[in-house]
Amino acid sequence: MEKVNFRTQILNGHLQNHRHATSTAAIISASPCVSYVPPEVSEQPFSFDVSSMRKLMDGHNLGERDWLFNLMVQSKLFNPRLRGGKVFVVPDYNHSMEQQREITMKRIEYLLDHGVFKGWLTGKGPEAEMKKFALLEVIEIFDHSLAIKIGVHFFLWGGAIQFFGTKRHHDRWLSATENYLIKGCFAMTELGHGSNVRGIETTATYEANTGEFVINTPCETAQKYWIGGAANHATHTIVFSQLNIDGNNQGVHAFITQIRDENGNVCPNIRIADCGHKIGLNGVDNGRIWFDNVRIPRENLLNSVADVSPDGKYLSAIKDPDQRFAAFLAPLTSGRVTIAASAVYSAKISLAIAIRYALTRRAFSITANGPEVLLLDYPSHQRRLLPLLAKTYAMSFASNYLKLLYVKRSPQLIKTIHVVSSAFKATLTWHNMRTLQECREACGGQGLKTENRIGQLKGEYDVQSTFEGDNNVLMQQVSKALLAEYVAAKKRNKPFKELGLEHINRSCPVIPAQLTSSMLRSTQFQNDIFCLRERDLLNRFAAEVSQYQAQGESKESAFVVSYQVAEDLGKAFSDRAILQIAIEAENNVTDASIKNILGLLRSMYVLVTLEEDAAFLRYGYLSTDNAAAVRKEVAKLCSEIRPQALALVSTFGIPDAFLSPIAFDWVAANSWSTVEN
Amino acid sequence: MASNPYSFGETDQVLVEEKSSARIFTLNRPKQLNAVSFQMVSRLLDLFLACEEDPSVKLIILKGKGRAFSAGGDVTAVVRDITQGNWRLGANFFGREFILNYVMATYSKPQVSILNGIVMGGGAGVSIHGSFRVATENSLFAMPETALGLFPDVGASYFLSRLPGFFGEYVGLTGARLDGAEMLACGLATHFVPSNKISLLEDALCKADSNDPAVISATISELSLVPNLKEKSDCHRLNIINKCFSRRTVEEIISALEREAADKEDEWISSTIQSLKKASPTSLKISLRSIREGRLQGIGKCLVREYRMVCTVMRGEISKDFFEGCRAILLDKDKNPKWEPSRLEQVTEDMVDCYFSKINEEGWEDLDLPRRSNIPPCAIAKL
Repeated sequence: MEKVNFRTQILNGHLQNHRHATSTAAIISASPCVSYVPPEVSEQPFSFDVSSMRKLMDGHNLGERDWLFNLMVQSKLFNPRLRGGKVFVVPDYNHSMEQQREITMKRIEYLLDHGVFKGWLTGKGPEAEMKKFALLEVIEIFDHSLAIKIGVHFFLWGGAIQFFGTKRHHDRWLSATENYLIKGCFAMTELGHGSNVRGIETTATYEANTGEFVINTPCETAQKYWIGGAANHATHTIVFSQLNIDGNNQGVHAFITQIRDENGNVCPNIRIADCGHKIGLNGVDNGRIWFDNVRIPRENLLNSVADVSPDGKYLSAIKDPDQRFAAFLAPLTSGRVTIAASAVYSAKISLAIAIRYALTRRAFSITANGPEVLLLDYPSHQRRLLPLLAKTYAMSFASNYLKLLYVKRSPQLIKTIHVVSSAFKATLTWHNMRTLQECREACGGQGLKTENRIGQLKGEYDVQSTFEGDNNVLMQQVSKALLAEYVAAKKRNKPFKELGLEHINRSCPVIPAQLTSSMLRSTQFQNDIFCLRERDLLNRFAAEVSQYQAQGESKESAFVVSYQVAEDLGKAFSDRAILQIAIEAENNVTDASIKNILGLLRSMYVLVTLEEDAAFLRYGYLSTDNAAAVRKEVAKLCSEIRPQALALVSTFGIPDAFLSPIAFDWVAANSWSTVEN
Repeated sequence: MASNPYSFGETDQVLVEEKSSARIFTLNRPKQLNAVSFQMVSRLLDLFLACEEDPSVKLIILKGKGRAFSAGGDVTAVVRDITQGNWRLGANFFGREFILNYVMATYSKPQVSILNGIVMGGGAGVSIHGSFRVATENSLFAMPETALGLFPDVGASYFLSRLPGFFGEYVGLTGARLDGAEMLACGLATHFVPSNKISLLEDALCKADSNDPAVISATISELSLVPNLKEKSDCHRLNIINKCFSRRTVEEIISALEREAADKEDEWISSTIQSLKKASPTSLKISLRSIREGRLQGIGKCLVREYRMVCTVMRGEISKDFFEGCRAILLDKDKNPKWEPSRLEQVTEDMVDCYFSKINEEGWEDLDLPRRSNIPPCAIAKL
């Protein structure tokens, strides 16, 4: 009988016009036929000003960002599609690899024609650089392939010319690059050598009688691999090679080599092959390059760090080959900065979609005949998404900080930039991948649909954890750098004064035996426990390495075997740095309602980190009692953040058109009337 | 709710007819070209809200008496109010008007607006947000606000920004006039019906006795045709409009147009540049930003933002161009406004920002839109 009643009610619902019912509230709760109610209608009004929060999140160049969103939304090239009464712009990932590459190139031409890249290489100063970052972030929100293809051309090829080149290179290439008169790529990685750049096998031999370098690929493992742009479009490349002069190897140097003529034909003595279909980023034409004794003029050596005179003398102001090599790697920092920033935006896209969906999708009723419960009203669902949201907020501040640090770079800051960019690139990209997987699952089957973006983003962004420095390798470098600071400070018996390690100069913080809720939420405690972990792990790492060395191991092999503590330490450094940046951002806010919510998010960020990282229990920074208190507080924070969830994803600066159908009226988007037949 | 929402006096600014399940509202200020007054806005709002609750009403037809649909908001009255008292009276008017625009944009029943004449500014606001807009050979559309020291309001940042390419920027910044055929071509109108068939159309709509948009659309389509665009139509200029009006700033738009003009003699380009140079520099800058933000926002957010903007305009702290524009165009009619700041480069980013920020004054609040249960999905945007 119950069933019959239910059927009748449904049929009634279909036959009657809902809008004519007496009360709209009744429709929402009593209608057995699930209807879509926009979260803007069902959720409480926002408790803080969303546009002010957006300013904090995006941080800079909001007008330029909106302009570029406008440019993309208004062009058919960006594949606008009407779903559920709204237009979405998202690439057609059902296109073949070739189609994706061609449309990506066409989109670049459109952006070029509309002046998006103006000043990207010829502009000077921090403002021009911040604007460039902002525009690239907007492009990434549309499509990672598009951003990467542009990034390779401007940041890697263009950056190499800027940083390794001198006036003759700047005059000849920068403006030509900015206007795409030539298309650049960056041939560093080889089949046999990726992160270990110093081991590459390509050679450049100087011939004084002709005044030329001869670039050669001596063996299969020396083929250049994963070179973005090489497979189809690039006309020129920076090729990294071992420089040989009179039989002496001077280490890795960068050279400009033309690989295609103006008609797109591959140049003589160059062989190019495709890297083929990938799990994502198929809009980028990654290729492989072989050089068969290609001759290039002496002037093509990018000679800001080292030069070769016409008669074949090697000249460099930097005598130490280690330092020379480090100078070569400097441009890769800008890549890490942009990767970290884009990882945060990818996480924001997925959270905005998954949380909006969770505010409109119901599953199971928990009372007899009661309405089904909104996904986000389940504490378990809150626990899955809201901590990731809180982390994304903290990391958003971190990425803005990193960008500013980079554009204000000075020789004194090189080490800091290297360490912080390495740590944040790894932490933020790992966070993104984790967030994408959780959000994908949180959307259930809808997460599988390419049009809903999240699932696809997993493939598109997975590469971030390994390109421009493998995350694990980067984190080991962070630990090594911290250890170097430690050794230097101890040796000279001087205080720490870099990398945020100054806290170690103070006395060791003491964590109270019984943590109350208000203590857990205090910046004092939060800062203390993160500093305690970092300081203790640094001591342990130093002790372990020196113990191995005392047993006769080399410094390098001591590092290799101490990987466990090294990993923990890298994480500790990164988390502590992010927390301090988030606290500072919060302190700079004057609006009480925004300060309040940022405080909740910061506490969530810290407490969920305490809950998830076993190091706190392993090394006893938290007692088991305190760990239990932390866990309880996380659940409490979830329920406090829950009412603000919609507002918190509305501040991300991502227009609706760049989200997906399940973020809006997914019933209309899937109705029979929209089926093409 | 009023006991009889359809009651009206002789001087009523909105005439109401009941025809089966349809309600025909006629804007009734023919001498003022049906300029939208506070009284008219209030009346329309009451009528629309009442009809939404009334299950016997299925369709609303909105038209104008005389040769205009509506020539816009009654700005002279607003300016008089402001100069006599304080700007809050003006804010009251715009707030009401925007709420009406919002109710129309989120209305649950079809609204057919018959645009048989002038449709400008506030007149566009009470029609374009509705589901059906019928143009005729008499239609004349424009958003002329930048020449008045104002900006395209009444939700124009929402509907202009959704026109093809960057046509909305063009229409909003230059105040370009569009005829019925052009309105149809760019999407401001949904149908074109020759004016001699309008009374047939009204009858057919009343007879249709339906609230189903598909039925209403089919009914109008039976009488509609697709007119030819005139040879010199702006709609044939979409390429150059996209090229120039997609630029980031007003200055860049003008220099892009000037570059085009240098390439070839073209009357359209020079008159476009002329209208931009004649408009208030402040108006141009805030209008462009408003349309750009509007493209990424829902109708509600657009109206809230436009309300901040219009209140800032009326307070006159940053620029008094609105008063100067009304003086020069509507009152003294010397058509020679003295804008202040007088040049684009004097209007700084900070000044523009002020128009988009909350107003720091005791008792002022953001526009409080009524909570609507059935906002169409396309009308909601988060930013």
